[in-house]
Parts: sequence; C-alpha cells; structure tokens
Amino acid sequence: MESRKMLSEAETNKSADQVASFDFDLFVIGGGSGGVRAARFSANFGAKVGICELPYHPISSDKHGGFGGTCVIRGCVPKKILVYGGTFGGDLEDARNFGWELSEKIDFNWKKLLQKKTDEISRLNGVYKRLLSSAGVKTFEGQGKITGPNEVEVTQIDGTKLSYTAKHILIATGSRAQFPNIPGQELGITSDEALSLEEIPKRVVVHGAGYIAVEFASIWRGMGSEVHLVYRKELPLRGFDDEMRAVVAKNLEGRGIVLHPSTNLAQLIKTEDGIKVITDHGEELMADTVLFATGRAPNSKRLNLEAVGVQVDKIGAIKVDEYSRTNVPSIWAIGDVTNRMNLTPVALMEGTYFANTVFGNRPSKPDYSNIPCAVFCNPPLSCVGLSEEQAIKQANGDVLVFTSSFNPMKNTISGRQEKTVMKLVVDAATDKVLGASMCGPDAPEIMQGIAIALKCGATKAQFDTTVGIHPSSAEEFVTMRSVTRRIPVGTTPKTNL
Amino acid sequence: MAVATSLTVTTPKKLSSLSSPTLHSLFFSKALSFSPSSSSFLSLRKTLLLSPSHHTRTRRRSFTLSASANPHNYDFDLFTIGAGSGGVRASRFAANYGASVAICELPFSTISSDVTGGVGGTCVLRGCVPKKLLVYSSKYSHEFEESNGFGWKYESEPKHDWSTLIANKNAELQRLTGIYKNILKNSNVQLIEGRGKIVDPHTVDVDGKLYTARHILVSVGGRPFIPDIPGSEHAIDSDAALDLPSKPEKIAIVGGGYIALEFAGIFNGLKSDVHVFIRQKKVLRGFDEEIRDFVGEQMALRGIEFHTEESPQAIVKSADGSLSLKTNKGTVEGFSYIMFATGRKPNTKNIGLESVGVKIDKKGAIEVNEYSQSSVPSIWAVGDVTDRINLTPVALMEGVALAKTLFLNEPTKPDYSYVPSAVFSQPPIGQVGLTEEQAVEQYGDVDIFTSNFRPLKATLSGLPDRTFMKLIVCAKTNKVLGLHMCGEDSPEITQGFAVAIKAGLTKGDFDATVGIHPTAAEEFVTMRTPTRKIRKTNPSEGRSECEVKAVAGT
Repeated sequence: MESRKMLSEAETNKSADQVASFDFDLFVIGGGSGGVRAARFSANFGAKVGICELPYHPISSDKHGGFGGTCVIRGCVPKKILVYGGTFGGDLEDARNFGWELSEKIDFNWKKLLQKKTDEISRLNGVYKRLLSSAGVKTFEGQGKITGPNEVEVTQIDGTKLSYTAKHILIATGSRAQFPNIPGQELGITSDEALSLEEIPKRVVVHGAGYIAVEFASIWRGMGSEVHLVYRKELPLRGFDDEMRAVVAKNLEGRGIVLHPSTNLAQLIKTEDGIKVITDHGEELMADTVLFATGRAPNSKRLNLEAVGVQVDKIGAIKVDEYSRTNVPSIWAIGDVTNRMNLTPVALMEGTYFANTVFGNRPSKPDYSNIPCAVFCNPPLSCVGLSEEQAIKQANGDVLVFTSSFNPMKNTISGRQEKTVMKLVVDAATDKVLGASMCGPDAPEIMQGIAIALKCGATKAQFDTTVGIHPSSAEEFVTMRSVTRRIPVGTTPKTNL
Repeated sequence: MAVATSLTVTTPKKLSSLSSPTLHSLFFSKALSFSPSSSSFLSLRKTLLLSPSHHTRTRRRSFTLSASANPHNYDFDLFTIGAGSGGVRASRFAANYGASVAICELPFSTISSDVTGGVGGTCVLRGCVPKKLLVYSSKYSHEFEESNGFGWKYESEPKHDWSTLIANKNAELQRLTGIYKNILKNSNVQLIEGRGKIVDPHTVDVDGKLYTARHILVSVGGRPFIPDIPGSEHAIDSDAALDLPSKPEKIAIVGGGYIALEFAGIFNGLKSDVHVFIRQKKVLRGFDEEIRDFVGEQMALRGIEFHTEESPQAIVKSADGSLSLKTNKGTVEGFSYIMFATGRKPNTKNIGLESVGVKIDKKGAIEVNEYSQSSVPSIWAVGDVTDRINLTPVALMEGVALAKTLFLNEPTKPDYSYVPSAVFSQPPIGQVGLTEEQAVEQYGDVDIFTSNFRPLKATLSGLPDRTFMKLIVCAKTNKVLGLHMCGEDSPEITQGFAVAIKAGLTKGDFDATVGIHPTAAEEFVTMRTPTRKIRKTNPSEGRSECEVKAVAGT
C-alpha cells in the first residue's frame, strides 16, 4: 500500500525532472537478502530499479543461484528446517521420562523432509520474486557482469546478452563455500550439497568448527548418524567467548559427536567401504560423507571487476567505504561479497542504509556494534556484544563476569545431563553490560530482547531491576546477583584456543 | 529506589520542605494512616532512613523501641510465617544481613490445606514448577504431530502413562522441598514445622509453643477458591489437578484465567477431552484484547472446546461415578473431573490477624504500605497474601526489599512497573507493560504494531499454528509501552524485551537493533509499519499527558 503510493509520487517527480539518461537508476547484481532489500527500498524511494539473479537451483554454482540467495535457498532457512528435523531426535529420548511410551522402532524419513524443505524454499523463491515485482523492480534471470562504471551485461539462460546502463550499480553476489586444497578433496561436499543429500549418511566427517560445521554435526547426529568433527584449534567456534566454546564442545560430545581437536585432514581416499579420511595425526576414519565447512569466499570473480578497476582484498572481498561504496563512485557493494559481517540481518541493514544513502537523501552508515548472532547447534549458542576476552582487551578498567550454569527444568525429569550456561560481561566502572551469551535451549530466541538492551547501553543494575518471568531459562539473565569473577585491568586473556 | 536514596541523605528539615505531592503521598500517606500516632511513625522513619550505621544492634533496638514502645528481649529479629517464595527469600536475605531469623511452615503435601503445605510453597509444590513439568510432558503430543511433518514416523501412536509422569514429578518436588530446607539451613534460618499463629504484635504461636520476634512477616500465600454451588464438593482445584490418581478421560475446567488455560493445555496435550466453561465471551480478562482472541482461537484449533458465557450452577454425580455440570445454558455430562480455576484467596483466616488488629481488605488480603508494612507496625506481609501482583518473582522482589528495609537500613520499595509475566498455555503467552486498552486510556495517542505469522516450523509440520506479536508505542515519545506475544517460546522471548522496556527504550531503539535470523523474536525488531495509529485526544492534551508520564518514567 505504502510503497505503491510512494512509487506514484516518485513517478510524478521524475517526469518533472526529465533526466532519464540511464536505463535504470539502480541495477543490482544478485538477488539475495541484501540485494533484494536494497532494490525494494530504492524502488520505494522512487528509483527505477533492475535486478539480475541466476536461475533457481538448491545447489549454487557458476550457473545457478535463485532469488532469495544463500539465506533462503542454501543457508539460514533450509538449515533451520533441518535443525528442527534433527532436534526431534533428542526430544523423543527426553519424552520417555515424561511418561510417553514410544515404540522401539521410530523411523526417520529423510527423503520426506528433503522434499518438504525443497518445496518450502521453492515457495520462498517465488515469494521473493513477487516481493520484487510488487515493489516495481524489474527482474532478470541470468549472469550479471559489469562492463563499465554505469553499464551492466546480463547473460540469459539461452545465451542471449542484454546490456543496460544504470546511474548506480550495486553488487550483492554473496559468497560460496570453499574446498580445502587436499588430495581427494573432490570426494567431499560443501554445505550446499549437504542440504540436498539423496540419503542420510550413516557416518560423517565434518571438517571445520565454525558455525556451519557445528550446525551440520548437530543435524546429522540428531538424525542418528555417527559424526566426527575435525578441527584445527583446541575448541570449536573460534572468535566466540572461550568459556562458551568449551560449553559447546562439551555439549556436542554429550550428544554423541566425536570431537577431534587440534587436527587437520590430510587426505581423502575412495574405497569400497566409503571414503577413507586420513588426519594429520595419521588417524583413519571411514565416512559416507565428508563435509568441508572450512570457510566461504566472496563471489567476486565472474563480475569482470578488473575492467572498471573495482578493488578487492586478498580473499576477493570487494573493498567498500562506510557507506558501502567501492573505489568506483557509481559502484556499490553490500552483503557477504564485502566480507564485513556475514549475516543475513546485516546484509539487510546494509541494503536499507544503501537505499537511504543513495535514494532516500539520508546518508547513513550501518552500525556494526552489538550485533547479536546465533549458532543453531544443539543446544544452540547465542550472543551479543563482547566476549570476555574482547572485553578484557578493550576495557579501561576492571571487568566483572557473571555466569550461571544450571540444569534446565526439563532435564530434571528427562534426566538429560546437559547444563544451560549464561554469561554477562560487565564494565566494573560504568556498570554497562558489554556482552551477553547463552548456550542452551531457546538461546537465539532469548537473546533478541537482550540485544536491544545492550545496543542501548543498559547497565547491570537495569537488568537487576527487571522482574523475572517464572519459570523460564531467560529469567536467569535478570537474577545474576553475585559476581563469578573480577578481572583486573591490564590482564592479558589467554588466546589461541 | 532513587527517591529513597536521596531521602536517606536528606535532613528532616529539608524533607518537610519537599513540595512534590506525589513524593509525599508515596512516602507518608499509607504509613501515616496505619500508625497509632504520628510521633511513633516519625521515629520509625528516622531510624529507617537516617541511621548512619548499618547492622548495629543498638540501632535495631531503637527502631523497635520507637515502633512498639515496649522494650523486650526477643527470641528472633524476624519470625516468618510461611516458607514459600517470598518468605524464604526475605528470611534468607534478612539472615545474610545479620538478623536472627526463624520461619515456620506446615508439613509437606501436594495438596494444601489448613494443616498441610511444605517448604517451597505454592510455586515449587503446587504452582509454577509442577505446572510447568506437566506442560512439558503434555507438549510432546504436539511435538509428535510436528515431527511427522519433519519425516519422523512412529510404528504405533505414542501413549502416555500418567503414573510415570506423576511419580517423576513428585520425586522432583521432594527434591526441591529438600533443597529449600537446605537453603534455609545454610543461611542460618531456623525452620520450625507447624502452624504459625499470631498472638500479639511480637509473638507467634506454633502448635502451642510461643516465639517472640521484633518483626513478624506473614507470607502465607493464597489458596484456590471453589464457589459454593450445589455439588461443589465433587469439584477439584488446581492443587488436586496436579496430583490426580489417573488421567481424566473428559474434564471440565471452569474459569478463563491463566490457571484454567494452562490446565486446559495440559490435559488436552495428554489427550483428555477438555471443555472450558467461561462466564465471559473471551478468555483471560485483563489481557490485551487481541491476545485474548488469538489464544482462544489457537487453543480451539488444538481441540479444546470452549463454552462461552456459561456459568456453572450445579454439579451432579451420577451412579457410574461420572460428573455432569449444569450451567445457565444446559448440562454437559460424562466428566471424570470438574476443575474450578475460578480464583485464589489469601490465606488470612485463623492465623490471629484479627486479634492483633492487622487490617484486611474485602478479599481477605492483608493491607500493606509500599514497604510491605501492615497496620500493625511490627507485622509485615509479602507475596500472594497481600494480593498485589501474585507472581513468584514479585514475591521474591518484595522479600528482598523487605529484608533491605528492615535489616540493611536501606528502605526499599518494590517497583511494580513493567513486571513481565507469562501464561504457559499452549501456545504460551508472554507480556510486559500496558495492554492496548490501558495504553489508549493512559496516553491517548498510541501506535500499534502487530505481526501475525505462520512460524517456519508450522510451514513444514503443516499444523495450523500461528504466532502473534504486538508492540504498543506512545505516539508522542516513541517509548514502547507494551509488548505482547502468543506463540512458541513467548515466555523465554519476552524476558530480554522486558529489560529493554523497563529501561524505557523507544521504538527507534528496537529498530536500530539487528535481528537474529531465523528466529521468531527478530520480528519484534523488524516491525516497520504501524498496523494502526490511534488518536484519541486532541494534540495539545495528548502531548502534555505523554510528557508528564515520560518524565515520571525516567
């Protein structure tokens, strides 16, 4: 309703302006979270917008993509669907002590889940296309390429090429999972394929311990697979709070995942019994599936950036200023292709701010402080603000750490041995809460509201004056009365775990 | 808090020169009306507020001397009657602050009465905890249905064994009541088992033995109330419903409050045939109207039958033992149980309150001032027995505040603004702050943001589950006045938002926060367009009223 109204107003404005020397005010390459948001919002401001995206396919490649992008088609959404599917495994175990008698034989039909997941993302792909067309954005299916500071070329599926001029070009082509350079790497898969496997693997080796690695490890374990997690560091989830990393490691192990810390993969060999995985310690593991979750690289190679001189960094990420502008003034970039903070809501924020800056007459810089995030391993981890290690490094005074480790009420009956852990990191001098983290059921849902409080500089006292919701896990965040430890200013945190 | 702190360092002379009528009324009016004379009140206030030394015997003595005008060597500094959430919290904290404390409680039983109770109180033994354990158990049937949509298949339908659940639940309650006893012991609070009765302003009788105390705290809570209709002796209350010998095949639940809805969800999840009888058109009086509609619809979709505008008139027991409920609209037969969730009453009968002159209101609640002091200066009361906001965390807050007031020389008033709460119905509700109706009444101009969506899980499970979220924003100040949610995880989600709303944050602050994807909670930070704007007052009136409230809130 509102967007339509603004569009018609914009049309009136434009006819008055009479400066339509370009085909488009904005041409967006890439129809993922950031690109779609920027396109829609720019159109709402009255801009004439075109957007191109590769044809839809659940697995991305040089030839395939789809409106909705990584998040909708090969990331957050299908991942979360599988997480839901996998979580039932543990839930069913827990049900017995609550009085439920379950048949010994419980079937899990992977093909059914896969089909429903694919149906859902196909539906969402359609939703995204409709969102664009109802916002008045012209969509193109094909590979986008930059041919000049104000010129793009779209190669359509049938090979025909279209060329358009645009006042502004926005690159929002995202990123793609990478294969490590080891012998036999072609035997492994990435998260793209893992979301669309034909069969549920009986034995899996996951290489890496970032959020994607631990999420897939949890999914498969929940579905009954034997899962090995192989990673270079002492603990999974580098970059997160060390104490919480240890909690996640313990929980993954508690749920039956075999951890191989301080280990690298040396080689994969195809055998009759499956893939033989050899580690750098000489250990041999047999697997039906080997997942590489060792990193993602920006999709900047096929954009022809060299032709116009758009600068990229060593890993291929497009360099941008605080307003998401590249070194070529008419070319902008947002989302994973810029490798700033690779999260959907951050790409959305960058897309919104880009539209505000370029077409809304309101230059605005995305604010990267206190951005919450979640890892959907089982149980999940969520956090906002600084880790204890970051707080110690950055604080000008003492840091107070409040922790709570408790047996969630559900476990008192189910008998599951798994603690929920919560943590607040507080600046002793100002009482400001610098960081919050939680590992336990519902952590991502719980953290969202806490994130608002942190974003606005809430103090520990403000947490304490909030009354709890009883009985919940979340109430623990407002009832942490005694300091677990005080870290004096000048302490060097132990790192490189 | 801020008021109390500033007054602590203010001399009496300056106090009297304070001009704000609000401040005066907050601080004086109630206390004055209860005090036998203004002079004794003044000395009380002086000790409360102006004592420079903490924890000293002499100071506490002077407090008592002035308050009671009857010097005495007491057995205890504090005697607490009732070891539920509020009583245990106040006693522990008082002991931590150096007071000698005793607490009495009735012997443990899952059903409360004049002679049974148990350390831990309603929350632990007959409320929040057992209720939530049953909610967990009953939720599984919905999860089994959901899991079908995610590829899980059961050779035979999962069956529920009520006795396993109840045995495991009761084992957990035994464990918890033990933990509470240990907590008291470790805090040096003397636990006396028996029925406490007040004999005079400083004496409590526990089963014939007398104990004297400088202060007496009444924290005896409340109990379910069943209205007197023919056959009401056949009805059960929530105490009994948590500990039934067998699962009801068919149950009637009378009442539309949170307890009624929670039990309706429990029994429905365990596959009983559930009928809810409510006097009004909608459930949950006092909640936001849209939430009331939404939760009623969702529960009906899960198979609960609501009989609206139906008041119970009689219960008849038939020869086969089944019960029928006669209402103003007809009779429904064949119930295994008829549960009344028609309200709770403070436990103020037969504990000696009348004899010492403690004032009680019409509902039987002890009247207290903002410091939880009753009309008898040495007698205090916290929790459900005072019928303020009947929630465990509020009783805890009142208990802590009282301990600080009495034994830390820090007069502390509990703060009842923006207390969040939850209903563990299925789907559950979380809320904090004002309802739309209250916001319009108090602020006139408000913007309403709503979101009614099918959660990701439901798109796969194929079940008709939906989630409803609502933000109520002051149009003039942009402050978030209320937040309501009905859907999976609502109680957990609401807690963090309660911190933000209590801190007085604006819709702009919500919008500036990045979402956590994919969650339901992120919807609260991505509501861009108001669903409706309500403009009730003319511009000038609205602004002034809003500004006054905003200033008062900071």
